[in-house]
Amino acid sequence: MPSRSAVKQKRRKIALVYVGYVVAALIFFVPVLFMLWSAFRRNIDITGSIFDFTTPLTLSNFVNLFERFDFVYYIRNSFIIAGGSTLLGLILGVPAAYVVVRRKLAGLGFFTLLARMAPGVMFVVPLFVLSIAVGAPSNDALNFLLLIAAHLIITLPLCIWLLVPFFEEIPRSLEEAAMIDGCSVWQRFVQVVLPLVAPGLSVAITLSFIFSWNYFLFALALANADTMPLPVIAFNFIGQGAGDYGGLMAASTLISLPALILAIVAQRWLIRGLTGGAVK
Amino acid sequence: MPLIWPALIVTILLVVLPVLYTIWLSLSDRKIDGSNSGFVGLANFQTMFAEPEFWNSIRVTLFLFVLCLVVETVGGLALGYLLSIDVPGRAIFQGLMLIPAITASVAVALVWLLIYDPTLGAANQLLEAIGIDPVVWLGSREMAPWSIAIVDIWQWTPFMALIIAAGIRSLPSEPFEAAVIDGAGSIKKALFVGLPLLYPVLTVAMLLRTVDLVRFFDTVYIMTQGGPVNATNTLNVYGYTAAFIDQDPSYAAALQLSLFFLVIIVAGAFTWLRGKQSNAE
Repeated sequence: MPSRSAVKQKRRKIALVYVGYVVAALIFFVPVLFMLWSAFRRNIDITGSIFDFTTPLTLSNFVNLFERFDFVYYIRNSFIIAGGSTLLGLILGVPAAYVVVRRKLAGLGFFTLLARMAPGVMFVVPLFVLSIAVGAPSNDALNFLLLIAAHLIITLPLCIWLLVPFFEEIPRSLEEAAMIDGCSVWQRFVQVVLPLVAPGLSVAITLSFIFSWNYFLFALALANADTMPLPVIAFNFIGQGAGDYGGLMAASTLISLPALILAIVAQRWLIRGLTGGAVK
Repeated sequence: MPLIWPALIVTILLVVLPVLYTIWLSLSDRKIDGSNSGFVGLANFQTMFAEPEFWNSIRVTLFLFVLCLVVETVGGLALGYLLSIDVPGRAIFQGLMLIPAITASVAVALVWLLIYDPTLGAANQLLEAIGIDPVVWLGSREMAPWSIAIVDIWQWTPFMALIIAAGIRSLPSEPFEAAVIDGAGSIKKALFVGLPLLYPVLTVAMLLRTVDLVRFFDTVYIMTQGGPVNATNTLNVYGYTAAFIDQDPSYAAALQLSLFFLVIIVAGAFTWLRGKQSNAE
């Protein structure tokens, strides 16, 4: 049985940790709360004191976004681009990750590292030239395709990275057993291997989606007025709605929503994804 | 293996070809109208090296890189230690600390624009409340790089902390017990036992941040567009504006390749130092 002073010391330590939590939350979480709060305040109050917590809350900033700026449309665009690039990233990345593990390939790892280290700007100019060559600026369907392809630069390496450790956990003997039973490579892959990496697939889907949803640069340079996703329309807002901080904060809140939800439900996987698998 | 071909082909199309095309652009002279007068050798690079703005952007990039990396690492160690201690509610707190890193950089930049607003911003209101004169956060050449750095430090210190916390939690306990037997106090234990053991995790975290910090773009482009008077014009922002605002794709390609080299050099130096360190141990 621990002595009384040891218990006391332990309690003191826990109390100190909570003090640290409060300080850290004040620094790192309060700006997020500030965004959420401002999204529900009237512009006249946002430009007033930040210490006045009695000002009324309103939905008008959001209503404005949807009625005057048709935000449903831009949310749809974001879904098309993030959804499309996630789906393609999976279709290409899942088999690739499997082969990387089974054949112990390091070469593809080099390419994905290249994609991770190269500045996004380097891809934007060639994609822009391609976009003009195929007439994508005036063709919405082509423009979406191009944006989805561009975002594949984010989602494909991410999918491979995330899935490799999951494939590594599957024992080889399991596949050999299926082989003896007369399964083809394809059958083995679909019927034996895939179900076993299902948890990894959900991780790859959610993270690819978020990273693609958040990505700014490619759409900034390549999207047209009809294909703009949320981050770009929010950026264009700065000039248009000068002084409309309520609208800007409501837009920021909408952009952040998927990430905020995920931070709560899938934090462990997020850490793995953000660190490229460096931390499991 | 046929399964890997689709991914390989797409990677070559999307990653390798653009890099090769950028190299070609940097060695030729592409005009705004799309015409290209062909191979010009290293002329674009000569223009670049003679351009003071290039050297300014290198300086800005390195300033932000060093400042942010140092503060984020030191802050990350402190917060990471806090996050490694088991108390009730730790998981929830860890979730909160994840939020800055996964919030879209556009949203982060917009919130900080409001915080930094010269007249009605939260930052100046806070300063006023404790009796300090308002600061021109983004509008002055002297202050703007620091203000931009604060945003990055805010966004990524918790991320460093999460990696470091995971590292601390997986440390073996024997060396610490041995140190206690040898009479080491907690500070000595942390500095001479914990830190060296944490070294591999710490360098991975720093390497990840390094690659992103050298390519500093989103928050700068949204908050200042490189201004005022190029005070926050990082090499990445410069490479973008050269291509899309000044419409000089060949010169921009030279800038972008230099940025790529800078990333490789800094990341490579890092990896080399890391290898050297672990050999020495």
